[in-house]
Amino acid sequence: MWLKNNKMNKHNEMELGIVPNEAVAPSIPSVKLKGVGDGFLVTINPAVPEEEIYKEVSELFERLKNLAVNSKVVIDVGNVEGYDDLVNNIKLLLKSKFDVGSVTKAHDKNSTSNYQLNKQNSVDNNLRTNNNKGWISDRSDALILTGRVRSGQKIDTKGHLIIAGNVNPGAELTAGGNIIVLGSLLAPVYAGYPDDDEAFVMALDFRPPNIQIGGVVSMEINSELSGKIVYATVKDNKIITEDYIKTQPFGKIPWPTIM
Amino acid sequence: MEGKIIVVTSGKGGVGKTTATASIGAALALEGNRVAVIDMDIGLRNLDIVLGLENRIVFNIVDVVNKRCNLSQALIRDRRIENLFLVPASQSDNKDVLTALGVQRLAKQLKSEFNYVIMDSPAGIEKGFENSVVAADEAIVVCTPDVSSIKDADRVIGLLYARSITPRLIVNRIIPEMVVRGDMLSHEDVMDILSIDLLGLVPMDDQVVVSTNTGVPLVMQNQSLAGQAFRRIAKRINGETDLPIQIPTVKTGIWSKITQKLGLTK
Repeated sequence: MWLKNNKMNKHNEMELGIVPNEAVAPSIPSVKLKGVGDGFLVTINPAVPEEEIYKEVSELFERLKNLAVNSKVVIDVGNVEGYDDLVNNIKLLLKSKFDVGSVTKAHDKNSTSNYQLNKQNSVDNNLRTNNNKGWISDRSDALILTGRVRSGQKIDTKGHLIIAGNVNPGAELTAGGNIIVLGSLLAPVYAGYPDDDEAFVMALDFRPPNIQIGGVVSMEINSELSGKIVYATVKDNKIITEDYIKTQPFGKIPWPTIM
Repeated sequence: MEGKIIVVTSGKGGVGKTTATASIGAALALEGNRVAVIDMDIGLRNLDIVLGLENRIVFNIVDVVNKRCNLSQALIRDRRIENLFLVPASQSDNKDVLTALGVQRLAKQLKSEFNYVIMDSPAGIEKGFENSVVAADEAIVVCTPDVSSIKDADRVIGLLYARSITPRLIVNRIIPEMVVRGDMLSHEDVMDILSIDLLGLVPMDDQVVVSTNTGVPLVMQNQSLAGQAFRRIAKRINGETDLPIQIPTVKTGIWSKITQKLGLTK
């Protein structure tokens, strides 16, 4: 197994253009456990000998014995094919010993695994930010403010902007990312500055005179949604506003993901 | 004596800063305080007319700050209301002739001689406004229930907070009939946006024009609803903080209708 892994390491490093560096090899745990929704996400480094994995899984689940009963467990071995036997064995172990509800293998391409099979001997920070969009290792860049933004006050940030308070007419908000206002939004805002059309604007009370997302400007704001939490995005080069609670735009994202 | 300097400001012009300054100053003097009202609107002086003192101006604030005369020479004493004094503005200069340092020096002197010094700030947020707020201990923001006035008041509130002055609000020219009809913002709507302490609500009153033209302070006219409102505001400034805020309402009673028809009340 070790031999096989090392071979694959070489191959992948070349492919990704990363120079192997033995000196900075990080010591990463072979099994990691996170609570996700009503279950657990078990991230496994398949490069580690199986016995060690079983031992560590047992130890982890031993600690949360009561919580584990009937829970949904998802096993993530990283972006690697194979290892079904390993997953099956863990499944049997967890079901017999800890009475868990279901055990499945994660199939998501953007796996939340911290472990890539090929990363053992490489500087893996680059890989992490590229391949891993999970919240486990990434950070969100957001400016979070509280209070009232008054007329003439200007807030400008490169990341996301979250304001817990009201934004009065005459204020100006500009963010490189998304803008979320936990209060009344009565001023023009510019999300996704300068050209990120993927950004969104959201407010509990959404009454701006106009908004801009990326390169798209909206002059007329749909007033039918007054009194609702509004979520504005760009679709077909047009800004559309939707009832956030009704649309649930983030409901389809399978895992908590960095904004 | 260690008095208080209160600046009356609004951002937007024509919302009633000068009327408010004259009325509050006169009402505070009627309460027994020694009051000086200062016209900071250099080049466009009005406060002297509202107070009916325009014929007695010899020196003005620019002369005092530039040491062409003493403060006592520029102070004009009101003959009707004891303890009310005016420092008029200059009509021939512009707002750049005053410096922040000069105003601060004058303010210090005024503070030592008066209980209340009320400064009538000019419209805008430029030099004139800066000079008015530089020495202020407290601020009163006047706004009318319309969107443009609120937006400007909001800007001024931000600037005052930036100078560590906590402003209080007067909503002027409320027409209760229009509020009831939904054609005018209510004071709650104004407060929703500005969210600062409310000092008083002043109804629209025809007497204001009469008062300005005749130079008789509003608070001396017992019939005037606005005058009564300003007297209550002065009481609140003077320490009666628990005096309830009176909300202007529509008169609908049969008796008021009859008296209105007969021309006994307005």
